[in-house]
Amino acid sequence: MDLKKYEKLAALNLSEEEEKRISKDLTDIINYFEVLKEVNTDNIEPLVYTKGAKLFMRKDEKQKSLDKELLKKNRELFNSNFYRVKKIIGD
Amino acid sequence: MDILNKTAEEVASIARSGEVSVKEIAEQMINAIKQKDSKIKAFIHIDFDAVIKRAEELDTKKDKSGVLFGVPIAIKDNMNMKNTETTAGSKILSGYTSPYDATVVEKLKNAGALIVGKTNMDEFAMGSSTENSAFFNTHNPVNPEYVPGGSSGGSAAAVKANEVIASLGSDTGGSIREPAAFCGVTGLKPTYGRVSRYGLIAFASSLDQIGPFGKTVKDTAIMLNAIAGFDPRDETSVQTEKEDFTALIGKNIKGKKIGVIKEVQDFKLQEEVKNSFNDTVKALQNAGAVVEEVSIPHLKYALPVYYIIAPAEASANLARFDGVRYGLRVEGKDLKETYEKTRTEGFGTEVKRRILIGTFTLSAGYYDAYYLKASKVRRLISNDFEKAFSKVDALVLPTTSTTAFKLGSITNPLQMYMNDIFTIPISLAGLPAISIPTGTDKKGLPIGMQLVGKWFAEKELLQIAYTVEQELGGKNGI
Repeated sequence: MDLKKYEKLAALNLSEEEEKRISKDLTDIINYFEVLKEVNTDNIEPLVYTKGAKLFMRKDEKQKSLDKELLKKNRELFNSNFYRVKKIIGD
Repeated sequence: MDILNKTAEEVASIARSGEVSVKEIAEQMINAIKQKDSKIKAFIHIDFDAVIKRAEELDTKKDKSGVLFGVPIAIKDNMNMKNTETTAGSKILSGYTSPYDATVVEKLKNAGALIVGKTNMDEFAMGSSTENSAFFNTHNPVNPEYVPGGSSGGSAAAVKANEVIASLGSDTGGSIREPAAFCGVTGLKPTYGRVSRYGLIAFASSLDQIGPFGKTVKDTAIMLNAIAGFDPRDETSVQTEKEDFTALIGKNIKGKKIGVIKEVQDFKLQEEVKNSFNDTVKALQNAGAVVEEVSIPHLKYALPVYYIIAPAEASANLARFDGVRYGLRVEGKDLKETYEKTRTEGFGTEVKRRILIGTFTLSAGYYDAYYLKASKVRRLISNDFEKAFSKVDALVLPTTSTTAFKLGSITNPLQMYMNDIFTIPISLAGLPAISIPTGTDKKGLPIGMQLVGKWFAEKELLQIAYTVEQELGGKNGI
């Protein structure tokens, strides 16, 4: 498995040592998945939500938003409404 | 009066009568924590002054009718509690202050509970021993050389050590039941959808479910009464009639059919666990239940299915931790590098491993072979349980195949995953299950048995579990 490719997709950048350790584990774990091949799943629908659980739509109504004072405890808000990040679009 | 060896039911009644004030209860509890927790390390965050303040507020309340009035309760650190730090056992959330209460926290407050603090856990609930916490290990109160189980190890240990009366954990593949078994307390994972996940830091959303730890079956029923119910803020929470989960406790189980899973016998069990399982079956029969064999043919596929589905969901859920809005932020030369640096420094090894597994199994070219295939086998596992439950009212099986292991003794991830072999199939089907202490091994370490109910049949499940608890009474050392 091309670990670098998946690191990039997952926004991770592992050290060489960590890469070495994780890559062996991942190979073992992914090999372990192979056993599923022996199960016949023809015409079987995938199960995503278990019995009784069904998604519903709530009414589109105005709701109270989170307390800005508490949000500010985590990050300073720019113009009291925005999070600050490094410039994304070039000049 | 010594409060801490009492049940939640007893403490609420004492606090309600005014015999002991909530402040006195809080002080006893704080003393116990100060005395014991330096060794057990069940808590990540606890603010004693805030606890006393909350206790004083409860004492001035006119309405003391809450089912958990004055009961000291700990919460796993993946549940948001307004204006307190919530880290989910991860460095990436160090310093994060919750801007709101999780629904379960709101509900516990409404029930009059004295919320004490946040307990240690495997980082983002990924683990079976609490050794994946970014902060420190928690020790099993029965023997500190052993793990308390995980991922809700702190919540289980705090109850066992009598530091609190009850606690909340979350269970994705066994994270309530396994630590309950290892520590010798009772732990209940409700049916998926029974308890709102709003405010629970998500690991695998189609599996995560919050549930209680208690000293007795009845205490977990009382806790479930407090936290269950539909919540419009969790779109998978299920609309059901309000129920009293204690209603059938104490009623006899004569004629109830209990299934023993044939395929469980294919797995190697520690001798004492096997004996305890036989004792549990006998206890059920003594109480008039009819025990018969059922088959879950796809049982052995549950573990690989889980380790595809849970990491896949986790890789998506954990994408939100990028350093922008809260927690750790490691600046890079541009936004992308800031994301990478923050995540690489903030996540521990097991979390990275699972994010990478999930990223791989969801990636183009592999999705059908892994994620889709696993979701289909998950359907077959669920169908197996449905068929079994057309014949029986509940299932009984060991919670784990062995008792607790020593800290640091399991380093291979696959071997660690095997701990959850009997809890994961039930999670995949979304069924309710409870682990109760049924004995100890020759080292004195607790053994737990798992009872599994039909979907949304917690009332009947708790009735059966209570009967086993009474039949085996005195054996669990609580």
